[in-house]
Amino acid sequence: MKAFPPSTARQAGAPSLQPRRFGAVNWIGLGALIGRQIRGGLADYHYQVLGPVVSCLLDLTIFQLAISTMRGDAGGGLLAFIAPGLIIYAACEKAYEASAATLILDKHERVIFDQLMAPVTAFERSLAYCIGPAVCGLAVGVAVAVMSLIFAPLRLHDPLALVFFALAGTVMHGLIGTLVGVWAQKWDQYAAILTFMLLPLSFLSGVFYRIADLPELAQDVIRFNPIFYVIDGFRHAFTGEGTDIGLAVLVVAAVDLVLFLWVYLWFRTGYRLKP
Amino acid sequence: MQNSTQPGGLSPAPFTNPTVPRLAPRAYGGFNWIGFGTLYAKEVRRFIAVGTQTILAPMVTTLLFLAVFVLALGHSVDQVGGQPYVLFLVPGLIMMAMTQNAFANTSSSLMIAKVQGNIVDLLMPPLSPLEQTVGVAAGGLTRGLAVGLATGLAMWIFVPITIAHPLFALFHAVMASLMLALIGMVAGIWADKFDHMAAVTNFVITPLSFLSGTFYSTERLSPAWKAVAHVNPFFYMIDGFRYGFIGHADSSLSAGIVILCICNIALLVLVHRCFARGYKLKA
Repeated sequence: MKAFPPSTARQAGAPSLQPRRFGAVNWIGLGALIGRQIRGGLADYHYQVLGPVVSCLLDLTIFQLAISTMRGDAGGGLLAFIAPGLIIYAACEKAYEASAATLILDKHERVIFDQLMAPVTAFERSLAYCIGPAVCGLAVGVAVAVMSLIFAPLRLHDPLALVFFALAGTVMHGLIGTLVGVWAQKWDQYAAILTFMLLPLSFLSGVFYRIADLPELAQDVIRFNPIFYVIDGFRHAFTGEGTDIGLAVLVVAAVDLVLFLWVYLWFRTGYRLKP
Repeated sequence: MQNSTQPGGLSPAPFTNPTVPRLAPRAYGGFNWIGFGTLYAKEVRRFIAVGTQTILAPMVTTLLFLAVFVLALGHSVDQVGGQPYVLFLVPGLIMMAMTQNAFANTSSSLMIAKVQGNIVDLLMPPLSPLEQTVGVAAGGLTRGLAVGLATGLAMWIFVPITIAHPLFALFHAVMASLMLALIGMVAGIWADKFDHMAAVTNFVITPLSFLSGTFYSTERLSPAWKAVAHVNPFFYMIDGFRYGFIGHADSSLSAGIVILCICNIALLVLVHRCFARGYKLKA
């Protein structure tokens, strides 16, 4: 008796053993990758979402107390200035963490091969590493924004700018996180990029103060920092102030595009991921 | 040779030979200094090996805090407690860096040892609970002081720091680092997962250290916030430490010293009891 003649596969009711056909984009694979990142990034919400919220509230409390004790006014103006900066910073940090930490963990636990072997193209993986971290970042951003309403009377000035800069900022950090995650071998490197690069770039670029208060030279240096445009544009969505908004959109979009192409190239060549 | 004829297997006679050392247990005095020194050296080497993360990173973060607060508030605030705002801020920031790192050192040491299973290397050697407690705590204390020194020196480049009462500042630096090292040990012994530790850091240690008058003088706070500040032991560390620098304190110094001493003794006893009973450490 011949075992499994080819015709048995075509019996009524039996699934066809043909390879699955994808269109131009493997939506199932893309969705699975994104879902995995979101679950990884937000599953332990106790400290993954609550942590940033608490630290942002602490920052606002301190500023309020510092202003009220030393200046005597309620400090509403300064808090309304700081709060948007803190919101976008928290969202961006989360996006960076979501992609970089996932990748490093996957590499350490050697489950990265599950992604490399799955039928997803480099483009789909790059896209997943844009969207997944951005969703995690936006979730944290929304939580921080809601809580900071306690302190600062935030009023929406430009909803379009809000959506654009929130998305573009988290995508930017998600992509930076992807590059770091692909490149880093150790957790030290992940933490070093965060402490010595992203934190100073954000904090010194106007999360807490107007760069117009700085010396000319410092202002010129800061204008080369793409994260400054994310913060400045996002704040513009609330306060309506800030530098040239068109320039900010252009710079942030260009940086996002370059980072995306970079990530795509690395995923395509398998840099540091494939032997 | 004549001894080997003795019946009954191994003879005790070679041990009487003066050229062979006696294989008796090593006798310690009241305190096992060798063991304590080894444990302390291990705790210190542990953080020095990753100095970028354990000393340089807190230094950079603290400098950032200084820059941010001075730039955001400096131009609207002239003087706090009779001092320029930046001089008021510096001691508080140094203290904050010291306490957070003393806590991080001991808590992560015990936590990682528990997760990786090499906590037995701490429990099995001939160390008494006192030696274990003091050895690990001294490691955290050293990390705190090292970070404090590094941060202070880095700030000194930008800010003309003067120290009014050096011994007073040193006393508070030691007491504060020791206290946070001990709290870190309690947390490290108690926590089962890294999540627990992150929760303690995020929801207990950071708020206590932030809301302690580091960034503002408590003298002009509203009564409610003032009460919050004054029941916080972190406030007394920072207040006393700042007095050592600028010669101005928000509250009673002797009360602060008494509170810090009581807290440290109570914590020492608590950690000692944990090690003695093996709470969450021994099966």
